[in-house]
Amino acid sequence: MRTTPATSSVTGVGHLLRLILRRDRVRLPLWLVGLGGSIVASALAVPPLYDTPEKVAGYARTVGASPVSYLMSGRQVGLDTLGGIVANEISQVAQLGVCLMVVFLVVRHTRAEEESGRAELLRSTVLGRHAATLAGLVYGVTAALLLGAITSISMLAAGLPAGGSLTYGVGLALLGVAYTAITLVAVQISTSARGALGLAGAAVAVGYLVRGIGAMQDNALVWLSPFGWAQGMNAFGDERWWPALILLVFTALLLWLAARLMAHRDFGGGLIATRPGPARAGRLLDTPFGLATRLQRGLLVGWAVGLFLLGVLYGAVIPTVPDLIESNPEMADVVGASGQAAEDALVDAFLGYIYLFMAVIACGFVVASVLRLRAEEEAGRAEVVLATPVSRTSWMAATTTLALVAAVALTVLMGLGLAVGYGIGSGEWDQVLTQVAGQLAYLPGTLVVGALAAALYGLLPRGTGIAWAAVALIALQVVLGQLLGLPDAVQAISPFWHLAAVPVDDFEIVPYATLVLIAGALVAAGLWGYRRRDAVAG
Amino acid sequence: MAVIELHDVVKTFGATRALDHLDLTVEQGEVHGFLGPNGAGKSTAIRVLLGLLRTDSGVASMLGGDPWRDAATLHRRLAYVPGDVSLWPNLSGGEVIDVLARMRGGLDEARRQQMLERFDLDPTKKARTYSKGNRQKVALVAALASRADLYLLDEPTSGLDPLMEAEFQEAVLELKDEGATILLSSHILAEAEALSDRISIIRAGRVVQSGTLAELRHLTRTTVIAETDRPATQLASVPGVHEPELHGNRVTFDVDSDHLDEAVRALSGLGVRSLAAHPPTLEELFLRQYGDEVTA
Repeated sequence: MRTTPATSSVTGVGHLLRLILRRDRVRLPLWLVGLGGSIVASALAVPPLYDTPEKVAGYARTVGASPVSYLMSGRQVGLDTLGGIVANEISQVAQLGVCLMVVFLVVRHTRAEEESGRAELLRSTVLGRHAATLAGLVYGVTAALLLGAITSISMLAAGLPAGGSLTYGVGLALLGVAYTAITLVAVQISTSARGALGLAGAAVAVGYLVRGIGAMQDNALVWLSPFGWAQGMNAFGDERWWPALILLVFTALLLWLAARLMAHRDFGGGLIATRPGPARAGRLLDTPFGLATRLQRGLLVGWAVGLFLLGVLYGAVIPTVPDLIESNPEMADVVGASGQAAEDALVDAFLGYIYLFMAVIACGFVVASVLRLRAEEEAGRAEVVLATPVSRTSWMAATTTLALVAAVALTVLMGLGLAVGYGIGSGEWDQVLTQVAGQLAYLPGTLVVGALAAALYGLLPRGTGIAWAAVALIALQVVLGQLLGLPDAVQAISPFWHLAAVPVDDFEIVPYATLVLIAGALVAAGLWGYRRRDAVAG
Repeated sequence: MAVIELHDVVKTFGATRALDHLDLTVEQGEVHGFLGPNGAGKSTAIRVLLGLLRTDSGVASMLGGDPWRDAATLHRRLAYVPGDVSLWPNLSGGEVIDVLARMRGGLDEARRQQMLERFDLDPTKKARTYSKGNRQKVALVAALASRADLYLLDEPTSGLDPLMEAEFQEAVLELKDEGATILLSSHILAEAEALSDRISIIRAGRVVQSGTLAELRHLTRTTVIAETDRPATQLASVPGVHEPELHGNRVTFDVDSDHLDEAVRALSGLGVRSLAAHPPTLEELFLRQYGDEVTA
């Protein structure tokens, strides 16, 4: 009789990892080069900009002490040193980047595989129950460590102190490790990859916001967020390592939880059971538009709730912005005014950034929504619809219209959220029209990005990833454009760059209307292309 | 008039030539079997008919229109079952059936109910929980519950159990009795044999044989098993006879159908004690069609 080698619950993890690396031989380097490149460029851009002690000292009192900086990057220590400035400038891209990277990569190789049925094929081979989870963990941790290493090395290359560079890189990597563990729990809970992405993505948003709000109000809230723990290692200040321990313990607990959930659930199952649906379709489903709405229901509701709450949170901190002038009189010099005028100018600058930031986030929604078209095509479901009298134009127009109309509605919702938050924070409830109008001033940028996705889908269906690249570039332009001193010709790629920076600048109708027209033209081009090309994924 | 007419159609995907001067004619009111191995171009041809793919060259017409230009209009008169059924995971089976039928312009309520019962399908389950066979049933019910002039069925029984397959065959014959035209792509030969009036065999993007079953059989060999008084030693010299095997007085051989007469004469000269002959099954047709290619 042949002896069977003993197997454990993680047998086969090596095979899985090799498969993952083979499948992601382009994807993983893209993440690392994209994020790493932005970090390297920023780290190298800071020292020449702050080449005198006066400029370095000025940063700590002005940029580094601004409400936007607290909200977006937390309270970074050592802002009176080059290291602190670099850490503060890159933290938004680096911290959010490492989290989103592991969330997408881990879901892709765990729940998405299970949902597609491919994992079933693998599980039929000699593969332990926990092998897939462990492979996801090793992969996420590896990606996070690599990005942390790239960050440390680029800081050293910029001539920053070794201790701070190392501490910052380790903190960043451990933040990625913690979110890898969070994602591994999320993929046990939801039965769909999209649901798992939503859960893990929400965890990123919550962690980021909690740290931001805590930093603005300078209270213990920051210690409730992994972002706060990573920052609490005080890179480039009085460095300490015990917050790293919190991150590791947190990670270990979540991994234990994920393993427990995995051991107790069925393959393909989750904690949220699938309920039976109606036997008949409602009237909503009579039209392609209705079908598109139903198919995107989860996406729409998730983004609406998320962006409204984001608005509320940001709105709630608006009234505290003027306080920062009292604690930091030099801020008044920066905004070039004093007294009430200075406070107003500071609030306006804060609002302008928030509007822009939220409009850029909404680009993520509009691209995801338009590109559902591509997912429908790849899955072969578009084919079934197009075999009915529904024309290509009406099928594509339904989804595109839904995405763009929803972008308008989300923009209004974000404005409402800001007004509600402001009301909660200040007790004054008269900001509805102001905030909605302010947020709407940035809408055309979001619409152009959505329309670009539609144009790509019609004209270059295999290149729809370019729409995501555009979102990433716009986000980088918004966060790092000034620091990197990008030439206008490059910055002009972002539609938002052309819009008047309301409320700091006055509203301008010409760029606004031009962008709306460009969006219309892009959609028309996409529809034109879709009518002419093969309608089957290839 | 022909319901489907593909003439000299070429469709390439990059370097791959999926349809290579394909000719296909499907007449009004017939069940047309569209046979070929995996990757022969069956689904590509059907997608051309659906106006999902644009041909590189050649002429395509369906229901008197241009499948590409008049796609949406023509689809009012057509129902389709895809080869690889993918459903919206968060919709129930019943919802999917209604969505597709309403987009097609309404469904026959009685027939919807009848088909659900016939295929023993629970319409309240979410699509993501259906097995492959049940997903196939959803697509079948959605197509068969609407009244159409033309049914394009791409390997419609894949994943169905034999009982359901029998139900499917019955349903197709009913549609035919109502005057519908059906293009049935398959690699299950028994199914095409049972249902089809005419058959086209496609290989590497080209229809290699087309005709009624009788016509196709005419082109092929008949297997003959005979016992004779005297051993049939000279049979190999009869034209059209292949590989005679002699075991005493018993002989087994294949003969080209148009040389059957000579072969039987040669046998009767030896004194026939028993004679059995059967026409080739579609299986044998198929094996020959591709078997030759494999060895070539």
